[in-house]
Amino acid sequence: MDSVVNVAALLVFPGGLFVIAAGLFYEWIDRKIIARLQNRLGPRWFQPFADTVKLLAKEEIVPERVNPILFVALPLTALAGALTAALYVPMAGLKPAFSFPGDLIVTVYMLSLLTLCTGLAGATTRDRFSLVGATRTLTQLFAYEAPFLLALLGPAIAAGSWQISEITAYTETHVWILVTQPIGFIVALIGLMGKLELPPFDSPEAETEIVAGALTEYSGRGLAIFHLGKGVELVIGLTLITSFYLGGLSNPLAFVLKTVGLLVVLAALQSLMTRLRIDQTVGLWWRYGALLVLVQWLILFVIQIV
Amino acid sequence: MTAVISPKKEKFIIPIGPQHPALKEPGHFEFAVDGEIVTEATVRLGYVHRGIEKGAEARNWTQNLYLVERICGICSHIHALTYALGVEVLAEVEVPPRAQAIRVLVAELERIHSHLLWFGVAAHEAGFDTLFMYSWRDRETIMDILEALTGNRVNYSANVLGGVKFDISDEQRKVILDGLDFLEKRTHHYLDVATSDGMFLQRTRGIGITRLQDAQRLGIVGPTARASGVMRDVRVDAPYAAYDMFPINIVVETAGDLEARFVVRLKELFESFRLVREILDNLPPGDLQAKRFPRRIKPGEVISRVEAPRGEVFYYIRSNGSDMPERVKVRTPTLCNMASVLSLAVGHHLADMPMLLVGIDPCFSCNDRGVSICSSQGEHGRWTWERLRQFGIDYYANKV
Repeated sequence: MDSVVNVAALLVFPGGLFVIAAGLFYEWIDRKIIARLQNRLGPRWFQPFADTVKLLAKEEIVPERVNPILFVALPLTALAGALTAALYVPMAGLKPAFSFPGDLIVTVYMLSLLTLCTGLAGATTRDRFSLVGATRTLTQLFAYEAPFLLALLGPAIAAGSWQISEITAYTETHVWILVTQPIGFIVALIGLMGKLELPPFDSPEAETEIVAGALTEYSGRGLAIFHLGKGVELVIGLTLITSFYLGGLSNPLAFVLKTVGLLVVLAALQSLMTRLRIDQTVGLWWRYGALLVLVQWLILFVIQIV
Repeated sequence: MTAVISPKKEKFIIPIGPQHPALKEPGHFEFAVDGEIVTEATVRLGYVHRGIEKGAEARNWTQNLYLVERICGICSHIHALTYALGVEVLAEVEVPPRAQAIRVLVAELERIHSHLLWFGVAAHEAGFDTLFMYSWRDRETIMDILEALTGNRVNYSANVLGGVKFDISDEQRKVILDGLDFLEKRTHHYLDVATSDGMFLQRTRGIGITRLQDAQRLGIVGPTARASGVMRDVRVDAPYAAYDMFPINIVVETAGDLEARFVVRLKELFESFRLVREILDNLPPGDLQAKRFPRRIKPGEVISRVEAPRGEVFYYIRSNGSDMPERVKVRTPTLCNMASVLSLAVGHHLADMPMLLVGIDPCFSCNDRGVSICSSQGEHGRWTWERLRQFGIDYYANKV
């Protein structure tokens, strides 16, 4: 019986099908809101799903002089990493499927796997746009990763645990951490935008310079899987930030309301800003992001000691 | 266009074009990069050479009016206007002042539409799609006005040799004025965005600075030159059509960076709004067309220049006494400005390249002329048909 539950957790809920479907749905909300803010109509509700089906049905072209195993395995690894991360977060406001002390770190690095795989996917091909895109993707990874992780560790310190379920239990019973650690919230939110390569941090896939960045050579199945992975990452990122900073996720309704609310904020930010150059992105993170979050930590420690 | 082809060296080259999301028309740019910094830039043009100049020699004077209008989709009126002004001088035909005023009116409306289009494209290249969508939505106003006025959105065909085709009715006058009021409000907002939005300024302020002496040395024209402090505008320097009746104030900035180019173009919009209103209020009475226009034009040659939205358009027209021109030579402003992109590119970030390129408001179809290739291994000059044919045969023979 136990094994059946475990397989279901992996393939149906909270990992697998549920989180993929949620990813597609959240992607639609994101696209729709941006479109409305930009005075466009935007896609219909099933558009991300239709895109995925179309891409899956298409021929996957493996470019010349590329290791075919690597080329096929990278998107799968990326999606697997994102799906694994879904097991440790309070998806849909329910208890995480699995939990152990320190799973916060594992989850964050599972999410980084997607970025890493994207970077590698770009670097394995000989396409010049891919190479520049891969360089930018990995550069950006080093820019936002540390501040983002530090921002997520803020609530962990407040809760006194590095276990996501315990942090969530803490945030549900206390005042929203958004109020007590506002700087950390801002850094985490912007870090998520950097992680997902959303505007203004979309220079790794700036179409007017390097076409589609690291994924230029991907078509068909590989591209679809990378897209799915990104959708999953969006859901998990939103879940993490809401459960840490916005008073936890005690039930499915709170989950939907809070994560969609946060997504609206993300969409508004995306449509307001001009793309940053990669050097400006790195500068922003290390000059302001990292410093801000360290200031947050300092305040936190001072309060705890006092 | 003369391109210098140097032998390939070991460099990491980012090709932009002929097919690339940043380009709306085909052109080929090669940027050698060191990391993110561009160390070398070359351009190859000519992908959309259409043989219009040659085609003009096989059409009569009137037919050419419609041919040259198709050189550029954005400034179609300007080309027809330049051609018509030149041919009218050759034929010694006096154009009624009302017709000239209406020509200027359409030219200024076209400038408004062109500058708004450019503004949107530039915002898109910077990765600010919201601004792109909004400015193009507002541009629809001017497109609707042009359609209401001429019946067409793109190739207006406002000109005939010796005048214009249509008059302006009271209803049309009201449509234009209402549209301009709306656009003026929006343009104030855009100017505010272009000069105060911090994120946008990070991509424009101090990027691609062209100094005054460089602008003069490279022979840059149009708003691009005026953003570097060059006082050059054909509408002021050599007023044509009705610009002596309705003078414009030249808009100049001195910074020479991308921001200055935004400011110059947006401020020119206000100047255009003012001029259109002035013309509508003081439209001179009279005919719309000259009484008679000769079918054959006596031998002679003429140079005709006007200020297109992108800069100076130059026509050289020669007649040999028949009903067709012997030669029509066109030079469009993009060609004059292209050199500035290449000279600016070196030392800038790869991410700035699309912005720098768009900063001159390029129009590739307009500027593509016959190409003479100067190779560094000798081989100058023109290729004969025989040589071109032999080249093709050799190319495919060696390819296998």
